[in-house]
Amino acid sequence: MILENKIDSNFITFGRQEILFLVLAIISAIGLSFGAHALLVGHDNVFGTSREIPWGILITPYVFFACLSTGLCIVCSLGQVFNIEVFKPIINRTAFLALITMATGLMCITIELENPWRVPFFALLSPHPSSNIWWKTTIYSLYMIFMVFNLLSLFMKNEKRARIFAIIALVTVTMGNLNMNSDMAILGGRGFWSENYMPLYFLSLSTLTGCAAILLFTWIANKLNNETASKAEDNALRATARLFMILLFGVLYFTGVKIMGGFSPQFTKNPEAMFLLVQGDFAPNFWIGEVFLAVVLPLLLVLITKGKNKGILAIASLSCLIGSFSLFYHLVIVGQLIPHYFQFNVVDLPKYYSYTPSLHESMITVGAIFFFLAAFMFGEILFKKINFGK
Amino acid sequence: MKVNKEESMKIEDLKKLRNEGVENIPSVERRQFLQFGLAITGVFLGGTVLSLTSAKNVEGAVSGGKILDGNYPYNPHYTMVIREKHCIDCEKCLVACRKTNNVSIHGYRTTILERSVPVAPGERERIFMPILCNHCNRPPCVRVCPTSATFKDKVNGIVRMNISKCIGCKTCMAACPYNARFFDEEIRAIDKCNFCYDTKLKESNGKITACADACPANVRVFGDLTNPETPAYKLIHSAGKVFWVLRPELNSMPNVFYVEK
Repeated sequence: MILENKIDSNFITFGRQEILFLVLAIISAIGLSFGAHALLVGHDNVFGTSREIPWGILITPYVFFACLSTGLCIVCSLGQVFNIEVFKPIINRTAFLALITMATGLMCITIELENPWRVPFFALLSPHPSSNIWWKTTIYSLYMIFMVFNLLSLFMKNEKRARIFAIIALVTVTMGNLNMNSDMAILGGRGFWSENYMPLYFLSLSTLTGCAAILLFTWIANKLNNETASKAEDNALRATARLFMILLFGVLYFTGVKIMGGFSPQFTKNPEAMFLLVQGDFAPNFWIGEVFLAVVLPLLLVLITKGKNKGILAIASLSCLIGSFSLFYHLVIVGQLIPHYFQFNVVDLPKYYSYTPSLHESMITVGAIFFFLAAFMFGEILFKKINFGK
Repeated sequence: MKVNKEESMKIEDLKKLRNEGVENIPSVERRQFLQFGLAITGVFLGGTVLSLTSAKNVEGAVSGGKILDGNYPYNPHYTMVIREKHCIDCEKCLVACRKTNNVSIHGYRTTILERSVPVAPGERERIFMPILCNHCNRPPCVRVCPTSATFKDKVNGIVRMNISKCIGCKTCMAACPYNARFFDEEIRAIDKCNFCYDTKLKESNGKITACADACPANVRVFGDLTNPETPAYKLIHSAGKVFWVLRPELNSMPNVFYVEK
């Protein structure tokens, strides 16, 4: 009833934003249709993955969006859970973004599975509590449910109930984030993830990308709606920008540790992979993606403008998100490229395994990113009509 | 100078102590010491000296050697001992495995790696190293499976698959340190060595696997670690025999052992 009252008479109108949403949705559908095809013919026939590299690029958007959702939930909780007044104006949009990013992440991992239809049955009928993957999937699914209830409560202006769901969601997603790290760290043959600093690094990165996303998408939303941010929203964004800057310094420190690991084996548990990343074939990706785009450029832009120019902040955030995406790609792929028996002087064993994403994998990744963008656009259209965005 | 004086005094003190001798050490302790020494020797010879593993792996290897304390958690506790230097790469084992277990052409359950090992300056030795699932006592693949599709058989310790539960996440492939698993598109599930659990092992009443049966040089010696009469048991329990496992640093406690001859 409350929702119905808020919907104005122009609910069904079709304008510039609706066309943009359709374009985004169509691109997403085209990309995801490659996933349907891969499911039919089998991944081995259309993916670049192999016996040696079983995890391909599709793990990257999953990890990226799941971490992004974690960060958004943390930023959202600053206002909603911890009652920090300045962050309250961005609660609604942050909560919505947290929900759709997790939905996108879970969609990616579903497409990445060869037999996704077995998950609902055997995750429930034959659970394996020692498996971090089982915990992670369960935790993230529960988190999504809590976020849906959180959002519905926010819709209905029931802040007290929304806060309860927000608290549960925050605890849940933090557990999920740490679980994701453990999930990767225990992969016996591949030690790339098992650095001691990983849990804190993951959490910092997640919050960093969360800040970047809310800065970028609030700016985009304002541009789409031809609006200027209200003073309260402006203050919230400035506070987020300050948090963004602090986290950039934090992630810069971790990047420094990575660089040290790439040059000196005593600083890492997997010197071969770190060398490949920092000095080997992945060095251009690392220095441009992880160092320049993810940290250095955003930090410079924020420092130069003192976080006051929202346009520049949006560019810094976009740069950070693109760089972070490459970072997660490296985390998934580089460790796997070290041959299992590299210490055994095996004849004809390549120095590194190779992996290149196939057309199908690339298109599914594009489809997933556009799915998120389409969902964001849909949210903007819907929330404007029901006057929920702010 | 003062330091040297103090040190010499300590040595003098030590000299005054009575030598307890070794005759009073219980035989159990002697055996444990000997086994520990053998494990370390095996690891160093099979690892560091032959450049198989880096020095930091030794620590893990010693703990991995715990399997030799005589307490085997399964009965029968199946094992395979690879007599590495006997292998001539005839690949009869690979053919037998594929035929017996109807292995898809898109993958393999076992293979043979050719190694070129430095033995002296400017000299290298060619060694053929058969590899297969190590049926670890602490299998990383089993640990990560979200639906228990891969599991450790509670009776005999074989790492097996329940293909109907496999969701195809391939985490077990990523976790396996031995590259012993592959995804078979024909059955839409992971396939791996199961010591011919449902084929040759069943037919032979638990005596032998297809690969071991087919090997003309007796490279692959299949056996039961709870039975001291089996050749496999004897191969790794002989005094002075050097044996090793692959990638001991991961502490997965493999049940496939390697000896030279």
